[in-house]
Amino acid sequence: MKINDYTKSKEMFKRAAKVIPSGVYGHLGPAEGCFVPVSAFPLFSERAKGSHIWDVDGNEFIDYMCAYGPNVLGYGDEDVDAAALEQLKKGDCTTTPSYKMVEFAELLTDTVKKDWAFFAKNGGDTTTLAIMTARAATHRKKIIFVNGFYHGVAPWTQKLDYPGVLPEDVANNLYVDWNDFGALEKLAAENEGEVAAFIATPYLHGNFFDNVLPAEGYWQKVRKFCTDKGIILICDDVRCGFRLDLAGSDNFYGFEADLICFCKALANGWNVSALCGKEFLKSAVSGMTYTGSYWMSAVPFAAGIACINKMKFLDAPKLFREKALKLTGGLKAAGAEHGFDLRVSGEPALFYLRTANGDSLFLHQEWVAECVKRGVFITNHHNHFINASLTDEDIRKTVEVAEDAFKAVKNNHPEL
Amino acid sequence: MSLIDAKTLAYINMFAILGSLENLTRLSADAGDVLTNRKPIKIAFDVKGGPKATLTFKDGRCRMREGIGKCDIKIPFSSCAKFNGLMDGTTTPIPTKGFRHIKFLLKEFTPLTDMLAKILRPSKEDLENREFFELSTTLTFYVLTVAVAQIANHDEIGRFSAAHVVDGDIHMVVEGGPAATLRVKNHHILTHKCLLPDPPKAKMAFESFDLMRAVIDGGVNTVACIGEGSISMGGDISMLDNLNRILDRAALYLS
Repeated sequence: MKINDYTKSKEMFKRAAKVIPSGVYGHLGPAEGCFVPVSAFPLFSERAKGSHIWDVDGNEFIDYMCAYGPNVLGYGDEDVDAAALEQLKKGDCTTTPSYKMVEFAELLTDTVKKDWAFFAKNGGDTTTLAIMTARAATHRKKIIFVNGFYHGVAPWTQKLDYPGVLPEDVANNLYVDWNDFGALEKLAAENEGEVAAFIATPYLHGNFFDNVLPAEGYWQKVRKFCTDKGIILICDDVRCGFRLDLAGSDNFYGFEADLICFCKALANGWNVSALCGKEFLKSAVSGMTYTGSYWMSAVPFAAGIACINKMKFLDAPKLFREKALKLTGGLKAAGAEHGFDLRVSGEPALFYLRTANGDSLFLHQEWVAECVKRGVFITNHHNHFINASLTDEDIRKTVEVAEDAFKAVKNNHPEL
Repeated sequence: MSLIDAKTLAYINMFAILGSLENLTRLSADAGDVLTNRKPIKIAFDVKGGPKATLTFKDGRCRMREGIGKCDIKIPFSSCAKFNGLMDGTTTPIPTKGFRHIKFLLKEFTPLTDMLAKILRPSKEDLENREFFELSTTLTFYVLTVAVAQIANHDEIGRFSAAHVVDGDIHMVVEGGPAATLRVKNHHILTHKCLLPDPPKAKMAFESFDLMRAVIDGGVNTVACIGEGSISMGGDISMLDNLNRILDRAALYLS
């Protein structure tokens, strides 16, 4: 099996490090992206189509990160891109917003069963707006988070010891463990009348640990509790949105969030995010000073309309689940064949992987590295993403690579 | 909260800085020579509301033990700030026991700490000598790794970082040079200035002395180094992620 060479990637990284802080910053970079070892991973891409990316060295990968979520229908989806390019001919960033914004808001609110939509660019724009809205509506300042959370990179979403974060930035943050309703009740009681919002992802899909689904009845109890206590319930659906349920992941788990944040899968990579909410919060969000230079650009709205319509046509969540179960079943079997206990957690459409032999993560990192070197782009400690263009042949090839990678790890560890 | 905490600094000064006399006497022939032909002697530092430790000088070597045991010289400090003053030269230590050993303090201990200061705050010219360069980098590496533990255990923000670190060993390695194990248990860190034999849960390796020096001097971007592979990480990356936040604070304390 071919082993990739990354000569050009390395050269490009040297150029990058001279003019870009840390070469590639953030989650797409080798540090935050946990490229272990970095020599196994491509650092820059050249092009992408469907479920595949090609790096600057010409290596081809079946990509299970999907740009960390935005690629939901396949890179360069013809229908979405056609709608975007058609709108581009008419106008994009204009003095008065395009009517496409209204059409998109109507389609989106109808799809996710909410009363209004507020558009921005990134997921973090919407989580910040959600927090501000909750505070404006309740006149309270404290926010309850679930340990292991990620809601973006604004100072309020970071932690006390992060560079550049002030203690004051996180002074009103409270924390509970996932699925621990009793702890939530206790924490809220200790801060009676001060809690503006409870913010959580639909299930615990944090990094570095097996992902955890909601316990039976958890969300329903949380919903009732928030209503009783006047706490705004915020669902951060930036990562899961549209991959579990086109009506939103709150609908998938049988509860109704007051505010729900969307981004990644909203327009198949065209840059738009949205906070959607219930009628009683519309006035509060209307009074907010919150905007951005590109937030009303029309091209992503046109792309979003085409993306949602195509996801509906495909019944995308059902498709994702079927493809994911086929894939992860194959991966687990490939591991078992060589004595590896590959654990799959989280929802299938956003599967998380961990090789559970021993109590360290070194073996898992070795296996992931061997997969990437052979042309399957997975990552060590983040959930993965399924997209609609993934074919049976892609899955077959992935399992073949995974099996060869397990074999290579086994050969490196005769003690196993 | 962004200011350094006197108590944490006292722990760093005691266990990371003075504690590196152990390594100095082992690695530097000059340091060993200062102590040649002398009878064993124990000197205890007793900081009120802060660290307590006893240094034993024997056979040309130095060993540090936490706590005040049987000693020949005892030097008390009324506060952490006073002890920190010893390190920056603003406090004159006055022993309450062992006046007859005052010659040791003046003729042997002080030259040793002067030597240590020269190595830990090297001039550009001194670093051009490769042997000195490696000695300085090695001692600074040990100071850094021990300081991390003190910050994790005593500094408010450091404790917050440590609260997110799971139990297990972290290996920190300079390829071809020094190595240390940071053992985490119940969010408390203890640094061993060697690689313990148990399999580590995480590992961070610097490819050379030169890279380690550049990291110490702030001459390289460590995240970019991870990207180009000169700093490698493996295992439980979240442990290293939190460790790096403590290392950031170590730079603040040691500056």
